[in-house]
Amino acid sequence: MTTILIIEDEADIRRYLRATLTARDYEVLEAPTAKEGLQKLTVNRPDVVILDLGLPDQDGQAFIRQVRDWSKTPIIVLSARDRESDKVEALENGADDYLTKPFAAGELLARVTVALRHAAQSPAGATEIIEYAGLKVDLAARRVWLNGDDVHLTPIEYKLLSEFIRHRGKVLTHTQLLKAVWGRHSSDQNHYLRIHTQHLREKLKDDPLSPTFIFTEPGIGYRFSDYLP
Amino acid sequence: MNADTRPDPDKLLALIRTDGGESASGKRRGRLKIFFGASAGVGKTFAMLTEARRLHSEGRNVVIGVAEHHGRAETLALIDGLPTLPLREIDHRGVRVREFDLDAALAQHPDLILVDEYAHTNAVSDKGGGSRHPKRWQDIEELLDHGIDVYTTLNVQHLESLNDMVARLTGVWVKETVPDAAFDAADEIALIDLSPDDLLKRLHDGKVYVAEGANRRAAENFFKKSNLGRLRELALRRTTERVDAQNDALNAAQGHDEAATGDKILVLVGPDALSSRLIRHTKRMADRTRAPWSALYLHTDRHETLSPKARLRVEHNLRLAEKLGGRVVRLNAARAATAILNHARQNGFTRLVLGHSDQPWWRRLAGAASLSQKLIERGAGLEITTLNADSETSANPRDDTTGWEIWAARPRHHLMAAVIVAACTLLGLPFRSLTDPDTLIMLYLIGVVITAARFSIGPAVLASVLSVAAFNWFFIKPYYTFTFDDVSYAVTFVVMLMTSLIVGSLTAQLSRHARLARKGESETRLLYDLSRQLSAVRGVDNMAEVVVRHLEPAFDADIRLWTGERQIAGAPLDEAKETGAKDVGVRQWVMQNHHIAGRNTDTMPSASALYLPVMAENSPLGVLSITPRTPDRQFTGADLLVFETVASLIAGAFQRARQAQDAETSRVESENERLRNVLLASLSHDLKTPLTIMNGSVSSLLKMRKRLPREAVDELTSLWGHLARLQKFVTNLLRMAAITSGQMRLNLEPYLIQEITGAAIARVEPQKGARQIRTTVSGQLPMVQIDGALIEQVLINLIENAIAHTNEDGVITITLETDADRVRVRISDDGEGLKPGDETRIFDKFHSGKPATDRDGSGTGLGLAICKGIVEAHGGMIYAKNNPPKDNAPTGASFIFTLPIAK
Repeated sequence: MTTILIIEDEADIRRYLRATLTARDYEVLEAPTAKEGLQKLTVNRPDVVILDLGLPDQDGQAFIRQVRDWSKTPIIVLSARDRESDKVEALENGADDYLTKPFAAGELLARVTVALRHAAQSPAGATEIIEYAGLKVDLAARRVWLNGDDVHLTPIEYKLLSEFIRHRGKVLTHTQLLKAVWGRHSSDQNHYLRIHTQHLREKLKDDPLSPTFIFTEPGIGYRFSDYLP
Repeated sequence: MNADTRPDPDKLLALIRTDGGESASGKRRGRLKIFFGASAGVGKTFAMLTEARRLHSEGRNVVIGVAEHHGRAETLALIDGLPTLPLREIDHRGVRVREFDLDAALAQHPDLILVDEYAHTNAVSDKGGGSRHPKRWQDIEELLDHGIDVYTTLNVQHLESLNDMVARLTGVWVKETVPDAAFDAADEIALIDLSPDDLLKRLHDGKVYVAEGANRRAAENFFKKSNLGRLRELALRRTTERVDAQNDALNAAQGHDEAATGDKILVLVGPDALSSRLIRHTKRMADRTRAPWSALYLHTDRHETLSPKARLRVEHNLRLAEKLGGRVVRLNAARAATAILNHARQNGFTRLVLGHSDQPWWRRLAGAASLSQKLIERGAGLEITTLNADSETSANPRDDTTGWEIWAARPRHHLMAAVIVAACTLLGLPFRSLTDPDTLIMLYLIGVVITAARFSIGPAVLASVLSVAAFNWFFIKPYYTFTFDDVSYAVTFVVMLMTSLIVGSLTAQLSRHARLARKGESETRLLYDLSRQLSAVRGVDNMAEVVVRHLEPAFDADIRLWTGERQIAGAPLDEAKETGAKDVGVRQWVMQNHHIAGRNTDTMPSASALYLPVMAENSPLGVLSITPRTPDRQFTGADLLVFETVASLIAGAFQRARQAQDAETSRVESENERLRNVLLASLSHDLKTPLTIMNGSVSSLLKMRKRLPREAVDELTSLWGHLARLQKFVTNLLRMAAITSGQMRLNLEPYLIQEITGAAIARVEPQKGARQIRTTVSGQLPMVQIDGALIEQVLINLIENAIAHTNEDGVITITLETDADRVRVRISDDGEGLKPGDETRIFDKFHSGKPATDRDGSGTGLGLAICKGIVEAHGGMIYAKNNPPKDNAPTGASFIFTLPIAK
């Protein structure tokens, strides 16, 4: 059985989350403080953590960094709509996803599903062949087809695509993508990222106005479609 | 290219500026043209007026400020028809004098003004209301500073540097002079040349104005053919030199600096008349090689013994050097030769100019070397020019040699010397019979030492002589005669005189050195204490208080300080008094012109106080005034130096106070900002948490709709809708709060507008129902530099607004296109359109207050105001208009906004 740990100081929100999650047969653990949350995380080893950033006893960002030192358990962050910078910071600290308050039950469940799938993915997954909406990617052979036709990608575009696919369904911040594709020291070369993403979109015939593959999360980063097998 | 020969942009700019470009203060400086001639009568005024008439007929705004016509018909004919500024009448020592009206000229501000007689001295009224500047050339400087072009006239004998030369050539001393710097700064010099024969003919025909009465003879003496020829030669040479200098300046600016010799000249200045000749000589020497030069005055112990008259002459000489374009240096030093050589070497001087005077016989006998000899001996590598004092200098009426003045300086001191000797005698008399008279010599020696220490060498010498005499008269048998029985006393007297002379002179020298050191130390201490105390207080007003408290006793003067029009420290000025009213004018002039003025300066010297600007980085912070408590005290150049240092100290302190205040303001601001952020964040949290919970509860309840009665489901559905609106409202309200409090920080990043539009469309998907959202992109769009999340919010608000105003089957069209350096986004709907007048009002916060005109469905009218705030923060524009109607039926509205393209 899948266990989800909710770290949130508002009892009503915990109750709402519990109701939504137990209806889907998840087992739910609750913690009103960061301290208790950390305790339950070590003892009970939940599969997913839902974390409110505004905790009374510790800054949520610090909590994420602390947990990431020793655990890879997916963390979904709850945050207010108008605090993009908080979300970016949480993601870069190691959170897997975020939910904007107020959120609908469906949104929550979708994020939990994605997080669980990522946690289940083995590193060996890099060898798989992925097919979705006419796009076929052979990660082992490093080849890409669109509707049966070969797509020629530059090495950077390919690196970008494979990064997207590896984290499909998950938001990647601009900084995370820059680090993954270009290495550490290019975090401020934002413009390159936009241009290469644009080229990749053109080659995948992906219209930014109604995307199939690459979705823009304004102010945060990109999210690759998660409707893949 | 060699770095030394590259054109220097600064120098070129400066040259362009002197060609009538912008002055440093940002205003255009006026152009000065001088009609220059060898003597009166060559036709300068005539030529000036002729040219002015021509310009006047061409339509230029020309005004005559002053034109000396001397009643001559042909000159008067030229003046006639040109606009003329009335002269001011001034009461000058009981005589009505008519002077040029500077303030009227500044007020009228013509393009060009004619001001005759560049070298004229203004009548300065003692009662105020006189001219502001003592000299006309200063009036002209002020006109030029205010951007007015000036024509003026000048004769060669009025040039400061040629003053002594003219005197030697013609035997006439001219009192009215113009500094060479002012002459050299003229934009144009027109030489009006007339041969001496022609000039004499004109004089003979009565066409030249010659003064009446006693001056007439002198004037006639002046107009001799030989004189005129020499003056003509001087005028021609000076004009050529100026043209050369201009060419050289241009060459230097362009990097061809052949003429520069690398010379730097130092002239030694004293109180004597020879010094002024040395200065002029140095100026001419410096002009020939275009070398920079300085005048050095040594504050040795001798300065202390100078008479007030001699000290004034020192200041006079130093001011002359300044006028001629030299720098003035004052050094405190005990050893003249060492100090001079050190200064010269440290500052890269290559030449020394000094006067040579014969040593007195007794010094020569003692083998003492004169200063020039010492300098020549030790000044290796320096070129040393000495000028001998000759008979010519004594022809100078300004000259009266110092000689006895030093000795006669303080008769009281000499009297005191005699008193001390008398006291020693009285003290010794009771012991006359008890002790050997030789012992009493010691008593007199003590008297000489006291005299030397207390006064100076003069009284000490007197005391020595008197001691010997008194000793002989009172203590050597026979008493009360100057004869003596024992011949060996002759030796005693000589030894006693020599001993007391040597001891006296040594003591005097020592005490002079000590006094000099104390004086230098007290100045340093004054400045140090002031700066220490200034740094201990906060706020401009407290600092001003410290300045006044500290300086008033030190300067024995009343100190006042203003910032702008506000007096911040010092005794209130009695402005009702006549001098008070005038001083207000001086103060305002100082504030505007950033220049020292008032007592003992060149500007408005009749003011009761000296006014100094308190300047920091070229902006005036205030004015410092110093009023001496003894009305006849004159400030020397050394005093002015101290005052200027004090003013700059105050300026530094004031600036620090101002910066501290700025820092405090910004600290308070940032604290406020932090508080606002905390408030917004907690508000956001407190409002959103219950909303999230309500949302969750309602949606959980709705999941059970099959088990609930129909009415309950309807109520829940309605509640769900209201909750959604409330959520949007809260989001908008918080966003608006951030925008209006100026707390919106743009996180600018490059984006394609398509991706943001795509994200916004995806977000409004649940609300659009059956409506169609169509997108059109015209051409290739460049990236825009935007805050992605905020622009997404703009698009969401506008699309939601369009959804609220279209029918279920409506069509919303989003058009993306470029427009010059912007990207334009247009959201059109096919709804009922805008009401007339709503096009702009619709973006107002809570516009018209009526929900009837609400277009964004959130019930507040905030959505569009937020769009406006965000777009304008990006430097874009947002507006709304109705689509062109078709068959008189409305076709909906368009909302359009633009965004700047990423660089």
